[in-house]
Amino acid sequence: MKKTTRKQKRPLLAILILAVILIVLSVISIGIGALYISPDAVVTNLLGLDHSFEFIIQQYRLPRIILAILAGAGLAAAGAILQGVIRNPLASPDVVGISKGSGLAAMAVILIFPESPVYVLPFSAFAGAAIIAVLLLMIARKKSIQPSSLALSGIALGAVCHAGMQYMMVKFPGDVNAALIWLTGSLWGRNWEEVKLLAPWLLILFPIVCILIPKLDLMSLGDELAQGLGENANRLRFILIFTAVALAGSCVAVVGSIGFIGLLAPHIARRLTGEKAKYLLPASALIGAIILLIADTLGRGIMPPVEIPAGILTAVIGAPYFLYLLKFEARKQ
Amino acid sequence: MRTYSNKLIAIMSVLLLACLIVSGCSSSQNNNGSGGSKSKDSRVIHDEEGKTTVSGTPKRVVVLELSFLDAVHNLGITPVGIADDNKKDMIKKLVGSSIDYTSVGTRSEPNLEVISSLKPDLIIADAERHKNIYKQLKKIAPTIELKSREATYDETIDSFTTIAKALNKEDEGKEKLAEHKKVINDLKAELPKDENRNIVLGVARADSFQLHTSSSYDGEIFKMLGFTHAVKSDNAYQEVSLEQLSKIDPDILFISANEGKTIVDEWKTNPLWKNLKAVKNGQVYDADRDTWTRFRGIKSSETSAKDVLKKVYNK
Amino acid sequence: MRSEGNPCFFVFATRRSKEVRLLYHSAKRRSSSRLMMFIIALIIFIFGLGLNLSVGASDIGIIDSLKYLFVWDGSKEQLIISTLRLPRTLIGVFVGASLAVAGALMQAMTRNPLASPQIFGVNAGASLFVVASLVILPASPYSSVIFAFAGAAAGGAIVYMIASSGGMTPVKLALSGMAVHLFLSSMTQAIIILNESGEDVLYWMTGAIDGSNWQDVITIAPFSVIGIGLALVFSGSVSVLGLGDETAKGLGQNMNGIRILISLIILILSGASVAVAGPIGFVGLLVPHIVRKLIGEHYQYVLPFSALFGAILLVYADVLARWIAFPYESPVGIVTAIIGTPFFLYLARKGRHLK
Repeated sequence: MKKTTRKQKRPLLAILILAVILIVLSVISIGIGALYISPDAVVTNLLGLDHSFEFIIQQYRLPRIILAILAGAGLAAAGAILQGVIRNPLASPDVVGISKGSGLAAMAVILIFPESPVYVLPFSAFAGAAIIAVLLLMIARKKSIQPSSLALSGIALGAVCHAGMQYMMVKFPGDVNAALIWLTGSLWGRNWEEVKLLAPWLLILFPIVCILIPKLDLMSLGDELAQGLGENANRLRFILIFTAVALAGSCVAVVGSIGFIGLLAPHIARRLTGEKAKYLLPASALIGAIILLIADTLGRGIMPPVEIPAGILTAVIGAPYFLYLLKFEARKQ
Repeated sequence: MRTYSNKLIAIMSVLLLACLIVSGCSSSQNNNGSGGSKSKDSRVIHDEEGKTTVSGTPKRVVVLELSFLDAVHNLGITPVGIADDNKKDMIKKLVGSSIDYTSVGTRSEPNLEVISSLKPDLIIADAERHKNIYKQLKKIAPTIELKSREATYDETIDSFTTIAKALNKEDEGKEKLAEHKKVINDLKAELPKDENRNIVLGVARADSFQLHTSSSYDGEIFKMLGFTHAVKSDNAYQEVSLEQLSKIDPDILFISANEGKTIVDEWKTNPLWKNLKAVKNGQVYDADRDTWTRFRGIKSSETSAKDVLKKVYNK
Repeated sequence: MRSEGNPCFFVFATRRSKEVRLLYHSAKRRSSSRLMMFIIALIIFIFGLGLNLSVGASDIGIIDSLKYLFVWDGSKEQLIISTLRLPRTLIGVFVGASLAVAGALMQAMTRNPLASPQIFGVNAGASLFVVASLVILPASPYSSVIFAFAGAAAGGAIVYMIASSGGMTPVKLALSGMAVHLFLSSMTQAIIILNESGEDVLYWMTGAIDGSNWQDVITIAPFSVIGIGLALVFSGSVSVLGLGDETAKGLGQNMNGIRILISLIILILSGASVAVAGPIGFVGLLVPHIVRKLIGEHYQYVLPFSALFGAILLVYADVLARWIAFPYESPVGIVTAIIGTPFFLYLARKGRHLK
């Protein structure tokens, strides 16, 4: 059919175009913020020829932009993996309750132990995500995972975490606003420290994802087929979910529970590159990076000096688009 | 099975890593921020994060909390940047007049770019809210972190002394502190010796009423003046229902209300409200929320203290 | 007292074959055990009412509490009982019953035991409107109840519209509900953060009934009664809904009409509850589960039992809310979550067997 031959040409081209878009947006984004810096000044500052905007560019915006790219890519990749494993286009770290789990842990640190050193927060956030993932696996293990069941189990777990968070906010009324900002997800105040925290994780995980890509395609064929081809479906599922959680957990630990990226990016990617994991994953990662980059840039630039947390913008843009996708997909069926 | 796109990913990751390393190297070389210079005029300030060296007489000060504004203004300096939650009126209220400054955003997320563009020579930040941007602030200018949000009255006094030292105005700071103590003592003296009524402040919101107990900032001011506090607790704030309020039944009640309808308006229609001692004796007073609970500085505590005496004793 | 209008029961009763007679007898046994359960539940309920009336910051014993219901002597205790505690107890009853019934209906509609009124966008919509009104229009003279209602209606309407475009399926309803919920809560968070007003709205957002007064009772009572009443009348159709579309059509039911009606009922019940008490979770999720475990899937019974059990849960949770930090209050929404969490986890593991 005409469609498949056309699609064969597109994936690589799409990925290349996305990469270019990402680079261009990064350069533009460096110039945007409370102070506008023109692209040529950006370039000269980056090359070290000019030091007038050194703090802003080197210490403030550049690490944030890199972090946005890394975290956006990580979350999107996690979402793509989850959707492939659970064989459902609507799975993602925030739907499945992982983000709420890390939110609970992070809030505990912010409200109950505000005196603790700065690195405790990311670690506990990660731990929270891991716990929820384990719970979810336990709940969903018995039956094959149906779309609405998993989504709803995740929501229910998320609701439990939410209740826990509210309890903490009432019992320990410390800095509620800070806790809420963390929950929404924000890149404010993130700098090279956070990049150094996240980069090693991703450096380890991304190659693992690359190795797992062909297995992901196998998983989408279904358990029986996969096993027929010699794979232990359960173990594979476990490894894949574990990788996704590690990705999502490490990203959330550093930027807070930003929503919608893991849900949306794979969707958009799917329309550009089709279902094959080897194109879908890089495309999702790139799109996730672009989304978070745009969200953070807008957050910085819309109404300075106030910064709108990136998580709000991803929801404002992401949710309506997602709902639109829901409507559109329904009509196709 | 190495496919084309796998190689693409590999190349991109390597490129990205290279970028990171290059940028990381260049950033760690730029450890300026005037934190290391040791001119003969430098002082070592002990703050919540340890030690910071401040030299010279800072003229361009950025304050990221309201109690710091109170202190700095008291010492005669107008900061170039204030984290004002975008509420210029609030700042006007604290300072008493319109001042010229640049807003650096909200107290919980001050805008580092604006701060840096102001080229300050001293930044005063809150030990709890801003601890995760402390390192970045240090790169802009010498930064001291003090307790503001969770500070007690005594800690606020200590902070004032520290700020005075940082601003190279130690003598002036001592003077102002002595003045303040005198004001407070005079106010204390105005309290009748046999005053044994209990007193409490509550914040009225649309759907809840929150009492500030003996361990809250305004609770401390009441106690300092010599009143008995109606609610003794280790938790600074406590939500209460009308039932509990009528059980506590304070003699004097100060209410800080948000704009618009609050739960107290509803309560006023309930006969239990009219039964309260404070209501029956006409001892329910207004307390401005900003002055009483948000500003928390030396000058503001004087204002609140004067306010109490004026209202309770009709001066 | 409860609806015995079970058509199937009737069908059985008129046939005369032997096995049918056996079934008839076992059904009758089941119905008598149901009756027992109802009576026990009723007793627990009434005891809970008494407890709710008498527990509180001020010490008023049970006998006195009941006395002050009728003897109006203007004393402080009597005022507390009649102006504060009695309306609060009643609100607990209405809200608990409404949420439980709404939850049962929601689970029938989505054919998924983990659905709850929360994902109908109602709570999120109400929160958004209330927070917006408190923060953006603080000087408005309207109480938050009106805003909550409007928000609940808006949220529910959006979910419904999206879910039903191109034909509503349970999956789509669940997912669009989730997405709308996430979206509206993000907007709510955005407003709170940008206004630095977390503490102002916190108490409302956790769900609390300790500020209840007679005005609130008057607000919710008609909606509760109408909503639950309608649900009971149409409980037969609800059961059929749970069987699946083809079966339902075969039995001659108008699927779309039923869905619209039930959606409306869910909206009325959960909207009124959230308007008066803020977003309280878990009641709608939990109670129908427990009820179904005890008496099976016939909604003719599930609905009235859910109403009763829901009322019980909330009334007791309210008592607990006054004990946790005695003499201070905790919001009841938190207590339902504390009770709900272990129950939920237990059920979720076993719950696979329910469907």
